Amino acid sequence: MSLNVNERGDYVATFRWIEVRLMETLAAWVPTTPEMEVKLVFGAHIWDTAQHADMLGKRAAELRLPMHDELAPSPGATDLLAEIAAITETDKRVAAFYNCVLPALETRYRDYLDRVDQLLDGPTVRVIDRILADMARMGTEAVQLLEEAPAVRLADDSWTAELRRREAELGQIVVHRRPAEPVAGAK
Amino acid sequence: MSSAAEIGYEVVRGVTLRANPARDPRFTVVGDQSEMVTLEPGTPESLRELLHTSINNEVQSLEVAAQSLVEFPDAPWDLRMCLARQCWDETRHVHMFLSRLLDRGGWIGEFPIINQEWGTVCSIESLAARLAVQNVTFEAGSLDVLKQGIALWLGWGDAETAGVIEAVLADEIGHTRFGDTWLKTLQTGNPRVVLDVVRTLSGLRRAAVALAPPDEALHEVAVNSADRALAGLDAGGRDPGSRQ
Repeated sequence: MSLNVNERGDYVATFRWIEVRLMETLAAWVPTTPEMEVKLVFGAHIWDTAQHADMLGKRAAELRLPMHDELAPSPGATDLLAEIAAITETDKRVAAFYNCVLPALETRYRDYLDRVDQLLDGPTVRVIDRILADMARMGTEAVQLLEEAPAVRLADDSWTAELRRREAELGQIVVHRRPAEPVAGAK
Repeated sequence: MSSAAEIGYEVVRGVTLRANPARDPRFTVVGDQSEMVTLEPGTPESLRELLHTSINNEVQSLEVAAQSLVEFPDAPWDLRMCLARQCWDETRHVHMFLSRLLDRGGWIGEFPIINQEWGTVCSIESLAARLAVQNVTFEAGSLDVLKQGIALWLGWGDAETAGVIEAVLADEIGHTRFGDTWLKTLQTGNPRVVLDVVRTLSGLRRAAVALAPPDEALHEVAVNSADRALAGLDAGGRDPGSRQ
């Protein structure tokens, strides 16, 4: 079943909420992360996440929502993001953000693309395509960071795997504000 | 969503500053200007020290902008976008100056660093006053200093560093401009914000005097009228940021 305008708006507002929190998380980590190379990568990616939030916020206004509307995801998702934001060790910050949060968010963006009509929701598709391209670059820059500063590579892969497992278990994270009103016959 | 590692405050020469942001062990962080090295101007070592200090200044600017994103979540979104963009710009500046430092045989940690720009700005409790100090005072002052720096580095035979400074200067115009624009917006119709900014700038002058080493020699820096005008500032205005 395809998503109607209200549902698409809720997805977009939820994605914006997440990107704003990612921006704030990176911003909080910049002064509190000792390693300069890591600090610089976090700092650069503040701008990426801000741009993602901005594009999504503008798109929300095209889906019958206020400009830059935000919708908090499910309590499990907000709790997990808050838990990640509270991490203090650099290696865990890097692993959580680049090996869990970004890949998981990419999966959720791709899942959204699979559920919408490329024409009906063309503007959102374009926004997400651009975000995915940025996220690929951010991932590459994180790999380069670990090559440059191997000391911040988390030795315990099981820690990241457990975080990813918990994220995957969240399932659907969009909390719709209105009852679903599918349009019959629409993809 | 706040950081788990809150950064507190410290008192230096009677001035309350935000405590140091995190630095890795390569750096020697000092708390008083008198502990910074003084070198003969124009020597290879002094040029490396200039670049090393520039790197830490840019890191501090990154940290100040980032901290304002954290501490003022209700700021207008378009202002937060400006701060986020500034974060990226400052990281690019660090890479540029680091490249020049390494090229000249220097290394991270070669000289002491001090984080008083961060300490001063992040001890200010309102975003408007932070913009007045960081963007409209310090960054505006850097427009003057950077323009002079281009000529100095060319005179020292280092056109590559002069080119880096020219690129940084162009970015700083934008940082000054958005700071000035948003400062005016936040002050409009809000006398309490105006009073807060005036009080903060007055305190900044007192802090600058208290934190300066007793024997510091002051060097006049020519006002960069053209770039101040591009930033929307009154070219004649002088401030503590242009004092070197």
